[in-house]
Amino acid sequence: MTTVIQHINWVGFRTLVAREITRFLSVYRQTVFPGVISSSLYIIIFGFTLQRRISSINDVPYSIYIIPGLVMMNVITNAYNNTASSLLQMKLLGQMQDMLITPLSNLELAISFIIGGAARGFINGVMVLLVGMFLTGMPLEHPFYVLLFLLMVSWSFSSVGLIIGIMAESWDNIATMVNFFITPLIFLGGVFYSINMLPEFWRTLSMANPIYYVINGLRYSVLGGGAADSSIGLSLFAAGVMTILFTVAGTYLFHRGYRIRQ
Amino acid sequence: MPAAIEVRNLTKTYEDVPALRGIDLTIQPGEFYGLLGPNGAGKTTTIGIITGLVKLQGGTVSVFGKDIVRDYRFTRSQIGVSPQDFTSDWFFTIEKLLYFQAGYYGITQKEAAPTIERLLEQFGLTAKRDSKIRQLSGGMKRRFQIAKSLVNDPDILILDEPTAGVDVELRRMLWNYLRGLHREGKTILLTTHYIEEAEQLCEKVSIIDEGKIITEGTPNELIRSLGKGGVEVHVSGWEEAMEKRLTNLTFAYEPSEDGGRVIFTVDNPEKELTKIVDSLSSNGCTIHEVRVTKSSLEDVFIELTGKAINE
Repeated sequence: MTTVIQHINWVGFRTLVAREITRFLSVYRQTVFPGVISSSLYIIIFGFTLQRRISSINDVPYSIYIIPGLVMMNVITNAYNNTASSLLQMKLLGQMQDMLITPLSNLELAISFIIGGAARGFINGVMVLLVGMFLTGMPLEHPFYVLLFLLMVSWSFSSVGLIIGIMAESWDNIATMVNFFITPLIFLGGVFYSINMLPEFWRTLSMANPIYYVINGLRYSVLGGGAADSSIGLSLFAAGVMTILFTVAGTYLFHRGYRIRQ
Repeated sequence: MPAAIEVRNLTKTYEDVPALRGIDLTIQPGEFYGLLGPNGAGKTTTIGIITGLVKLQGGTVSVFGKDIVRDYRFTRSQIGVSPQDFTSDWFFTIEKLLYFQAGYYGITQKEAAPTIERLLEQFGLTAKRDSKIRQLSGGMKRRFQIAKSLVNDPDILILDEPTAGVDVELRRMLWNYLRGLHREGKTILLTTHYIEEAEQLCEKVSIIDEGKIITEGTPNELIRSLGKGGVEVHVSGWEEAMEKRLTNLTFAYEPSEDGGRVIFTVDNPEKELTKIVDSLSSNGCTIHEVRVTKSSLEDVFIELTGKAINE
């Protein structure tokens, strides 16, 4: 006797979310530890050594100042990589058809993949944050905003992963997006510096980078108002727009079956 | 009762190349149905549309009377699919993958457990339950693929080349298993390159070529209506004049040292046999041996498509 689903396939949805989360946790050495280790190295090498030359930015010790940016860097790259690589892998190994033949809607499939990637981004962000607090004694001024930024940014870049995963036909496509777009935008978004340290032209250009706002949003949330270059309102607005825009774009493509259903 | 699968005027084009040119199919509940066709004929595309893997472009498809687009949750829950190509997975054991697959169909782990235990047992995979797909042999992968298509206990089972690349022993095992499912009342749609498979298993077959169904019927009907039979008679006393006397029959004479062989081409050898023997005897031939030859479904296939199924 078959099970017939009327409205929402909750069991299917939960199953796919669980599969996506279990998948990256089963290889935690590749998906959770590297970000924590590299961030610890950034804090120790960059933070502690450069602190002798740049003692503080916006009255925050340099080793602490860089931590919110490192957290965002990990959230963004992990959330993106998880969804993009999971989707491409499923296409290449033929696993996608196992899902497409089932009574899961395209929207349920898309949201499940986004949640999987967002979970990896969020876990990585929290881990780096905890390591940062442990190494530097960093405070946590606005925990609610911290949570909000971690959730919104991991969700929105998991959605970017969905978009790229749908369109990608090779691993090269996925790496191209990271190497040529995401990583430069993260570094130019002020992970290691304040944009006020830049010449006028570069400062103005940096303000067109959405990642600049989410890094500074988290910097405000973790370190308090004086540490950030942008206002919390603008940072929340940027994070909100990215979340909505990328989610709508990703789910729309998936819903249309673009490069998923022939 | 509505048809298990009803396909009407199905069309599909890939980048201006027509893949399906108006397919019509009706598969009744409980029927064992075969879709035969050479590579690129449109079998997998047809199955893909029925199951939701391929987008519907033109025509309609219903499953137990429900539209596959509007009521996709219902129609997909009724169907189990075993695709032609093996899927792979780097992370999970085959048992876990069966639970995932059941979950996608909305079946909880608790509900799925008895079915999964039974399937692992029936397909000889119990000892391999903790293995990953890449650790299985080709035959085991095929068994796993078919077991996975049954986790939702579907009323309709669609098998795309289920015995491709498996050894004879496993093929027989799978045939027996499918016969058992058919006896239980499941509707089975099968595509195959092995015409013997269709003859052995299917109650009804369609021959598809270049995106169109050319003919449909039971294997026997097709052989009777489209196949050519023959009667081969070993004789002595054949004279050249005989050729003029047997004007109402199509035949060829091959002389040999101990007489000769007359090979008659007829539509229904059993029916024509007495007439042939009478004609030869009354014309002074001595008959030593008579052999009836019949067309196979493969001959019908070649007759209709002009090519062998593996071309």
